[in-house]
Amino acid sequence: MEKILRKKSFPQWVKKLESYRIYAPTKNGDLWNYELINHSEDINLDYLNTVLSPKKIIFPQRETFLEFSTSNNGNPEIKEVLPEEDPSLVFGVRPCDAKALTLTDQVFGGDFDDLYYWRRRNQTVLVGLACPTPPSPNCFCLSVNGSPHSKEGLDILMSDLGDRYYVESLTEKGNKLLNLAKKLFEEPKAKDKKDLEKIQLASEKKIKRQIKETKKIPPKLKEMFDSPFWDEEAMSCIRCGICTYLCPTCHCFDISDEVLSSSPLEGKRVRTWDTCQFPDFTMHSSGHNPRPDKASRLRQRILHKFQYFVERYKNYQCTGCGRCISKCPVGIDIIEVLNKVRGYGT
Amino acid sequence: MVNLEDLKKEAKMLLEEGKVKYIIGYERSTNGLMSVPAFIKNPKNVERLVWDPSCIYNLTRFLVDEKRRKAREKKPDTRPVGIVVKGCDSRAVVVLLQEKFINREDVYILGVSCEGTGVVDEKKLAEKLKGKRPDKIEFDEKDNFIITSNNEKIKIPAQEILAERCLECRASFPVIYDELLGEKVERKSGEPFKSLEKIESLAKEDRWAFWKEQLDRCIRCYACRSVCPMCYCDECVVDTISFAVTADTAAEEKAQKIKWVEKSPDSSENFVYHLVRAIHLAGRCIDCGECERVCPLDIPIRFLNKKLEKEAKELFDYDVGFDPEKPSLVSSFKDEDPEDFIR
Amino acid sequence: MEPNPYIPKLTKIIQIKEEVGGARPIKTFRTQFLNENGFSFRCGQCAMLSVFGKGESMISISSSPLVKDYLQFSILKMGRVTSSLHDLQEGDIIGVRGPYGNGFPIEKWKGKNLIFIGGGIGLAPIWSVLHTALGKKEDYGKISLIYGARTSKDIVFKEELEELRQKIKVHLSIDVEEPEWKEFVGFVPVNVLDKKPSPENAISVTCGPPIMIKFVIQNLKALGFKDEQIYTTVENKMKCGIGKCGRCNIGLHYVCQDGPVYSWAELKNLPQEY
Repeated sequence: MEKILRKKSFPQWVKKLESYRIYAPTKNGDLWNYELINHSEDINLDYLNTVLSPKKIIFPQRETFLEFSTSNNGNPEIKEVLPEEDPSLVFGVRPCDAKALTLTDQVFGGDFDDLYYWRRRNQTVLVGLACPTPPSPNCFCLSVNGSPHSKEGLDILMSDLGDRYYVESLTEKGNKLLNLAKKLFEEPKAKDKKDLEKIQLASEKKIKRQIKETKKIPPKLKEMFDSPFWDEEAMSCIRCGICTYLCPTCHCFDISDEVLSSSPLEGKRVRTWDTCQFPDFTMHSSGHNPRPDKASRLRQRILHKFQYFVERYKNYQCTGCGRCISKCPVGIDIIEVLNKVRGYGT
Repeated sequence: MVNLEDLKKEAKMLLEEGKVKYIIGYERSTNGLMSVPAFIKNPKNVERLVWDPSCIYNLTRFLVDEKRRKAREKKPDTRPVGIVVKGCDSRAVVVLLQEKFINREDVYILGVSCEGTGVVDEKKLAEKLKGKRPDKIEFDEKDNFIITSNNEKIKIPAQEILAERCLECRASFPVIYDELLGEKVERKSGEPFKSLEKIESLAKEDRWAFWKEQLDRCIRCYACRSVCPMCYCDECVVDTISFAVTADTAAEEKAQKIKWVEKSPDSSENFVYHLVRAIHLAGRCIDCGECERVCPLDIPIRFLNKKLEKEAKELFDYDVGFDPEKPSLVSSFKDEDPEDFIR
Repeated sequence: MEPNPYIPKLTKIIQIKEEVGGARPIKTFRTQFLNENGFSFRCGQCAMLSVFGKGESMISISSSPLVKDYLQFSILKMGRVTSSLHDLQEGDIIGVRGPYGNGFPIEKWKGKNLIFIGGGIGLAPIWSVLHTALGKKEDYGKISLIYGARTSKDIVFKEELEELRQKIKVHLSIDVEEPEWKEFVGFVPVNVLDKKPSPENAISVTCGPPIMIKFVIQNLKALGFKDEQIYTTVENKMKCGIGKCGRCNIGLHYVCQDGPVYSWAELKNLPQEY
């Protein structure tokens, strides 16, 4: 379904969506982040991109799996804690962040379905906002099979045409949202379609940074496992977790037991985000650590995203949002690293 | 005037003569407005070095990495590491020397004076430039920064884009060095600890509300801890595994390691992590401001450490990081130390 | 209702046996599910054992799938979770979820000679596949076991090994001379060279400390074994057990799903990061 929505009608559409929990980018100081919206007037789509991707709504940083306690006969008792029935929708999802969710879908599905992830995923509607200009000087979605107006992973894609939005509904969930306010939506005219095409073409040309010949990277990385290249590149890494926590495609997590009371035993088993960049990520209890140094951990991040994930799921595990590049405390730049990889040894 | 060519010449000579293993300096970045750390091993690569007001990073943290690397090697190269430090950074080197974490012979200090100016804050600069990329940042010897962008010269008053730490500068030129580039120019900085006044003036409940709002945003990426040169413990409060484990460590010892802080970014856990870190840095933090610069959620954690720096000064008249011979605050005492907490 | 893979089933410990005492104790636990429906599994698979309040640990199932009454786990006391397991008593309740991993491809080995080579606690994963083969002895060729430990006190399943001698050839060894020890003295890889198992129509399975595995594989190849004839299990830190948390990731594999059983032909092509 393709429609036109006048910008001044937008708040009225949001009013009709009251049965959903609405998340939208919200400004706090200088930073934007997805927060719950209480008033429809608070939605401002005039932003670049958020610090944390909408992944945190579907795969929150902390999630309770189960609660354990001691029953009357002294034995442990467990109670499953699944996410509540809570239809939600997220406004202002950039195409790179939406595509990232299609990648995490493959990880959390497979032979064992992660019920916590899927419950939230299935009840969340993603309303995307195309990028007329790259939100960050470090955007590179075109280099990783993405685009500033990609529809992958979205239920609705909105494109800004100045005084109106071009609204494309891509799924049943999206159609439902439009049908809640049928009167506000108009049929698109030929001029609307032409304007949309013009803006889409222009947006692609504005992306300045690129990984050259991304296709050549996975086989090249396979040869470079033992190369001293990684020691050089990782010299400035300070082993924090910024690149992986901000990444919309990263999915590593930890499971730990949080004890509220030890006698009688009471507590929760929780899942929290974790990162392969922390030194203790792969450390065995015996003290043996397969990745003891920064070089092996940086190599793991790059190879996992551009070789292992490609071999397993046939996709790069990167959608070009540029967050890791902009926020890395020491300026480690994945585009630079990959361009160097491509030319290494020649 | 600090001559960049002098710095490059000095670096080249040190590398060619084999006097240092490698040099830690600054180079142009590809990702943003500021310079980034550079590790120069080959004398030919000294051309990559830069020195200008975009060199905001505190490189002292890499001395901690170097020590860890040496500990892993069977036959470590015992030559010193060359490092470019500003006034504030040199105080961090002093603290590491005071605590005997590194030896004086392990480091060859190439001190660079800020000559009365300082370094720029990336966010403030980006706001003024509105999307233009700076090719060059210079100080005009008066009160302004001159930014060259695409052959256009933009003049911005220094006060408007200086980093917060420079507004409260305590060491405008290195306090310890093997070589010093630039003149020793004192910086007219404002009243010390003035930036704390706003929060200190709040009532207790408002202060709690302020910090709760700020720390609730924390995602526990530990960038603040990772970038701090003084956070070098192998057995940190937040890690569930101690890195001081060997093949002979008994299972009981590993089992009994207390989990002080849960991994969850809960309000209470975030508070415990940040407050414990601030207390562990009392009398050791030199206010380089790196922790605040790297925080992806813009949490003003520098104030927590600064408050304790103020307490160290007021209670014990202790100035952090000036004299490598002086003992560290928490491992020494004087008879005149206040005792009003002993009842 | 789809099953939730993260929820363990409550399980009672019905028997605890101290195999090895001292500084590196090993205990063998036999468990029974509280509800009837446990799970069926293949030899070589593992399960996540939960001690509520402490955490989870991935342990290989050392009983054979032919045994229906209980699951057996042999656990070396190493860290937080294993220490709390060692503190438990018979009758205590823990959680068990699984089975995870790919198991030994024992159907492909019909008619072949099976040579099992283990060191220390590495005998536990071998125990399952060895007894499964013994349960259908007529399907396989000659079965033999080469096993060694640091000292005679560190040998696990002592009584069962003596019973086993009546059915198959068992070659034991310890690292350093001891009075009263009549068998081989030296490291397990050296014992392998000494006993010279023939690669003719044979499969060899080896488990133990990583350094032992490295030299055993080297020596087996020197004896003429091909890469496809050598099998081993890989150990890595695991948390979810279902290929999602990323911790056990090696190359494109997750050891908890695509392993822990690998032939050397497969394993040598993966990054050596375990």
